[in-house]
Amino acid sequence: MSGAMSKEEGLRFSEVNQEILRTLQAPGRSYWALLSLLFLFVLFAGGVWGYQLRYGLGVAGYHPAGMWGVYLVNFVFWIGIAHSGTLISAILYLFRARWRTGISRAAEAMTIFAVMIAGLFPAFIHLGRPWVFYWIIPYPNQRFLWPDFQSPLMFDVLAVTTYFTVSLLFWYTGLVPDLAAARDRAQGLRRKLYGLFAMGWSGTDRQWHHYGASYLLLAGLATPLVISVHSVVSWDFALAIIPGYHSTIFPPYFVAGAIHSGLAMVLTLLIPLRKIFHFEKIITLDTLEKVAKTTILMGLIVGYAYAVECFIAWYSGNIFEKQSFLFRAFGYYAPLFWIMCFCNAIAPLAFFWRKVRRNIYCLFVIAILINIGMYVERFVIICGSMSHDFVPHAWGIYWPNWVDITITIGSFCLFLFLFMLFAKFLPSVAMAEVKEDAGPPLRRGGVYAR
Amino acid sequence: MAKLSRRQFLKAACLAGTSALVGACSDATRRLIPYVIPPEDILPGDATWYATTCRECPAGCGMLAKNCDGRVIKVEGNPLHPVNTGKLCARGQASVQGIYNPDRYRGPMVRGGDGKLSVISWESAEKVLSDRLSAFGSNGRREKVVFLTDLRTGAERDLIGRWLAASGSTQHVMYEPFAYEALRKANQTVFGTDAIPTYYIDKADFLLSFGANFLETWVSNVQFARQFAFFHAPKEGKKNAFVYVGPRLSMTAANADQWIMVPPGGESVVALGLLRLMLNQGPETGDRGPANNNPASALTADERAALKASVAPFTPDAVKRATGVKPDLLAALAGQLARAQRPLILAEGLGYQDPKAYETAVAANMLCSFFPGNLQTTDFSSPSSLSDVVKADRMKALADAMLSGEVHVLVIDRANPVFNLPVSWQFEKALRTVPMVVSFSSYPDETGEFAHLVLPTNTFLESWGDYSPRRGVHGLLQPVMGPLFETRQLGDILLSTGRKVKPEAFPEKDLYEVLRKAWSKKAKEAGAAAPSEAFWQESLQKGGVWAALKEERPARPRATTDSLIFSRPEASAASQSEGLAKGLGFIAYPTIQFFDGRMANRPFLQEMPDPVTQITWAGWVEINPETARRLNIEKGDMLTVRAEQGMVKGAAFPYFRIAPDTLAMPMGHGHSAFGRYTQSETTNPLHLASGRIDSAGGVIWPAATVAVEKEGRVVPIANTDGSAFQHGRDLVRSISLQQYRSTMAAVPEVTLPLPQGWDKRIDYYPPHQHIDYRWVMIVDLDRCIGCGACVIGCYAENNVGVVGRREVERGRHMAWLNIQRYFEADQPSIRFLPMLCQHCDEAPCESVCPVFGPQHNAEGINNQVYNRCIGTRFCSQNCPYKVRRFNWFTWKHDRPLQWQLNPDVTVRGKGVMEKCSFCIQRINAARIQARSENRLIRDGEFSPACVQTCPADALIFGNLLDAQSRVSKLIKQARAYQVLHELNTKPGVIYLKKITQVLT
Repeated sequence: MSGAMSKEEGLRFSEVNQEILRTLQAPGRSYWALLSLLFLFVLFAGGVWGYQLRYGLGVAGYHPAGMWGVYLVNFVFWIGIAHSGTLISAILYLFRARWRTGISRAAEAMTIFAVMIAGLFPAFIHLGRPWVFYWIIPYPNQRFLWPDFQSPLMFDVLAVTTYFTVSLLFWYTGLVPDLAAARDRAQGLRRKLYGLFAMGWSGTDRQWHHYGASYLLLAGLATPLVISVHSVVSWDFALAIIPGYHSTIFPPYFVAGAIHSGLAMVLTLLIPLRKIFHFEKIITLDTLEKVAKTTILMGLIVGYAYAVECFIAWYSGNIFEKQSFLFRAFGYYAPLFWIMCFCNAIAPLAFFWRKVRRNIYCLFVIAILINIGMYVERFVIICGSMSHDFVPHAWGIYWPNWVDITITIGSFCLFLFLFMLFAKFLPSVAMAEVKEDAGPPLRRGGVYAR
Repeated sequence: MAKLSRRQFLKAACLAGTSALVGACSDATRRLIPYVIPPEDILPGDATWYATTCRECPAGCGMLAKNCDGRVIKVEGNPLHPVNTGKLCARGQASVQGIYNPDRYRGPMVRGGDGKLSVISWESAEKVLSDRLSAFGSNGRREKVVFLTDLRTGAERDLIGRWLAASGSTQHVMYEPFAYEALRKANQTVFGTDAIPTYYIDKADFLLSFGANFLETWVSNVQFARQFAFFHAPKEGKKNAFVYVGPRLSMTAANADQWIMVPPGGESVVALGLLRLMLNQGPETGDRGPANNNPASALTADERAALKASVAPFTPDAVKRATGVKPDLLAALAGQLARAQRPLILAEGLGYQDPKAYETAVAANMLCSFFPGNLQTTDFSSPSSLSDVVKADRMKALADAMLSGEVHVLVIDRANPVFNLPVSWQFEKALRTVPMVVSFSSYPDETGEFAHLVLPTNTFLESWGDYSPRRGVHGLLQPVMGPLFETRQLGDILLSTGRKVKPEAFPEKDLYEVLRKAWSKKAKEAGAAAPSEAFWQESLQKGGVWAALKEERPARPRATTDSLIFSRPEASAASQSEGLAKGLGFIAYPTIQFFDGRMANRPFLQEMPDPVTQITWAGWVEINPETARRLNIEKGDMLTVRAEQGMVKGAAFPYFRIAPDTLAMPMGHGHSAFGRYTQSETTNPLHLASGRIDSAGGVIWPAATVAVEKEGRVVPIANTDGSAFQHGRDLVRSISLQQYRSTMAAVPEVTLPLPQGWDKRIDYYPPHQHIDYRWVMIVDLDRCIGCGACVIGCYAENNVGVVGRREVERGRHMAWLNIQRYFEADQPSIRFLPMLCQHCDEAPCESVCPVFGPQHNAEGINNQVYNRCIGTRFCSQNCPYKVRRFNWFTWKHDRPLQWQLNPDVTVRGKGVMEKCSFCIQRINAARIQARSENRLIRDGEFSPACVQTCPADALIFGNLLDAQSRVSKLIKQARAYQVLHELNTKPGVIYLKKITQVLT
């Protein structure tokens, strides 16, 4: 029945499809306005990229000895965002965490888009000669040349490609029943398109059986990837000899950091989505609270890693390590370092208070802070370490310029653009899973009647 | 698909075929015309080397120029030439950018009424000149034509003299801004000869320099660098000492064992104080008078007494008051001097840094004369040709003569007095009053701006000629390639215009004939047994003719002390304190890159970091950091420096090693009309010259004290060093002489870049196996003087891109080899570290490239494969030495500078990483040559460009697998170490620690 319903009661089984598919109706003017704005900026950023292709990477802000700049920071940032999506949809699925069902679809979509955007950076934007980026792919060629598998960048290629493939399959598999539901309620071209991608799903037992098995399999595949992919990305740095990069704590540090930033991004995206689509009953405050609690854990791990780095810099007695850390904490980039410490390790501690973690505004603000802090952390590690390494003659301070910033903002716009498209054209909540979790359709009681 | 008939198919096929053919012929192919009958000497891809002489400065080093496919692309020193014995300095290496300079005059021009130049033909241009000259001859008035050039000798000078005589003039003014007037006068006073002798630093056992920057610009820098390397090398546990006295730590001072800082003008005070100490010591030390058989001095007792009286005021306390030099330091210096057998005391003899240059030079000469050994270190029988240039007072007289209308025709070639002379002499205004000014220069410059007629001459690489840097050495010049533009040789122009004025005086057809005539005369003088033609060919191949060094020098006039009056030290102290009250001292110093400014239009040299400040492009104003703090000046503040003569502008650069309350500006910046590479906001420091002339006839510096004010804006300074200190990292190491002696037998801490260097405990991958060769380089930090010749040699050889000022500010300097400079707290207080790709045996760059861009080859070289690089830049990130350079843009070469590019080396485009390759093209050429002779490459058979040109022999290159090679022996020296050794990269570049010593 429609009308007033208490928040705690949630949705009833019969209402789930309707509520969620309601979001696929024709969007309002503000949606189109925002979408076109994002699209225009993406085009502009694309133009700037073309300018960079034409004249060379010199148009960006690079200042040797820092040879890696904001583009790689973006890469690591976006991969990090991607990981928590998989955490929510795959790992929590394996752990049978019921509270994930409301957000798993959107989180997984976030993963897909983030990985796509992350992949743009090392392949096309960051390379000196992007037109031969494919040499990094081991394809048969007449020169009999293999790429060098000893290089961490090769691990990256393999890991990220695998991750993208598995995530895409996982997401798509989960989408099939929902696309079928959308197909059933749509007309005309939409019906045809949804039907095409629903692959003729008719909800038979056999199909559900296959669906369950493959979803579980893919979740199982995706889970270790969360740990491995970001470990591999961290080895881009940990396998270098530069003080500030060369640290064995990087894999767990980066994985925790990735999940940390990803969860924050989940909050950042879903709190507005929930408000705009009125999904308060599906994406409940309890769900968000659980996300916040996970954030505390990740924040503590990240804080531990900061402390360990400080300790090792002193304990090693290595003059390069020591001076590198002192530069990080008190040198040119010091403000960024302290912002990073505050936003990533200190701010999430506020979630220890129940009031804070059940307040929508606090959740949103702290999520934004964590996003900023995690971005700054990657900058401090990647760019800060390089500006102050072994040979003092080579030191130099890097700061992104308009090209770097435009392309970075362009990547955020592209992400939002894709996400907005997703939100409007695909069911942004996993209807099948929500219903699966709900009890049998009783007259009274909602989704979480059990 | 529509049906295709056979006719249609054939039509389409033909069309496609022909368009493919046409399309395949690029524009370039149509312009490349292969030789049907190839010219002699030219084998495509094979180079021919021609011996010639460098004319970038009066030193006149012998040069071998490489002509490849009809273009000169590289120059190296002529090993047979006695001045430079096979090496060139940075300026010499940059001469290839002179011939291809985009701002060169391309043909004769005439200046219209609107002040703009327009092209005319050679015939008309020469006619204008010869018509004007003929007018004089017929009028019978003399001294109306003045020919202003730089230092010329031999056949060319004679020809100029003849040409002037044809118009009734004798006014050939050879103007060199560095004419060392004070030195010449001091030589006249003390030794009775108004000349600059040839100095032999390698024969000395103690060297003391009062401001003479002999490793940079003083008289003959490559010659002195070669001699200094020999002088300063440790021999049997002993090391000769070099002390430098001056207001700033110049590059030369950086190589001293002790730098004694004095305020500007304090050099003479210290010198005279030293003289007093030496005179007051007994005859066992000090003056080895006639009683001790000193043919160099032989002062009579009266003369000694008179001298003692003149220097009596210069007590150690007075010296301390005037200069700040402590009495014990002065005493130590005197002691060291007294113990030496053949000390050499040099004085700069120029007024740019020392207002009492004459007194300093006299004191230095007197000190020299106390030692019989001085006859071996100073040779007046072979005076430098610089002794023939006019003194600055002559230039003032010329300016006055021009202003009063006495000069009717002024002909200029390779002189730029508007830039170099004091503004108060009004040379610019004087130029305007001369009715006809003709410029023969190859490049537009400040003086050429006022030329009515421009008849551009060939650069020296395109010309015949001869040049004799000192008596007994006659270098030849020959064209290394044909003239690039519509220019002619100076001699040819003089002959053809002279013929129009007085045909009988110029029977020769061209300059070549003049030269041949002069040379056959020389052949007779030399008593050559061979006929003239054979002598000529031999001289041409050798690069000239020079008499063998005679070991015994003829006796020299004895020193005299007539009319020696020295200004009192109190006066100096007074002016010093006056100075402090009024303003700051100001000096302008010559730079190794630009000399007196004449080389500023070479992009290589603009991009070359100054050895001590590491600044590229645009000038700067050095200021002591304490003074800067007091005046609230920070690095980059745009300053205006005012003196009574005018003002100059420059960006402030706090420099640790300059006397307090003193400003210094390098010469060479501040050109207003010398081409596109010289444009900067800095103005010419020479404009602050006082305009006064000292007793020797030279310009006096510094100006009366200056006032400095901030303009209020900050300009970025394009210096290449991220930090000026080592921060305790021990990258450039030194040991004291005592340590060196006691550890000579020790085993060095070196991990050999060979399988022997492998250690199972720390190495994961198996060692590299090398085939026949493992190329390594030894860098002897004790020999490196920091001159940067290697850097420019590398630029020229390897097509390294010049990035320009803005990109240097962003750290994108492309030098494969850079001379890093670190300040130290102890003496010597600057260290130079040549840093290049270390070709590590376990290179961090190799394992991180995803596409095998850097590769270790079987001879130990870390190859960078340009075609394979996709530009991830991980290799550079992982290189701890940071020697990898990335092409952020495709660096442009302003035409026709691209003709200088070496065809054996790829020109890299944007997006690709590059770095030192140990000149792999030279290695390959040597290996091919050796293989064709069925042998291995011999040690020393070839060398990379940097090793080839290092004047101090600080770089040694060779094969470590050859037990007899020099590198195999040097690597065992106790001094050997590797930079960042603890990272286990096993570098193939091994450094030898610098040996330091202090005055005792």
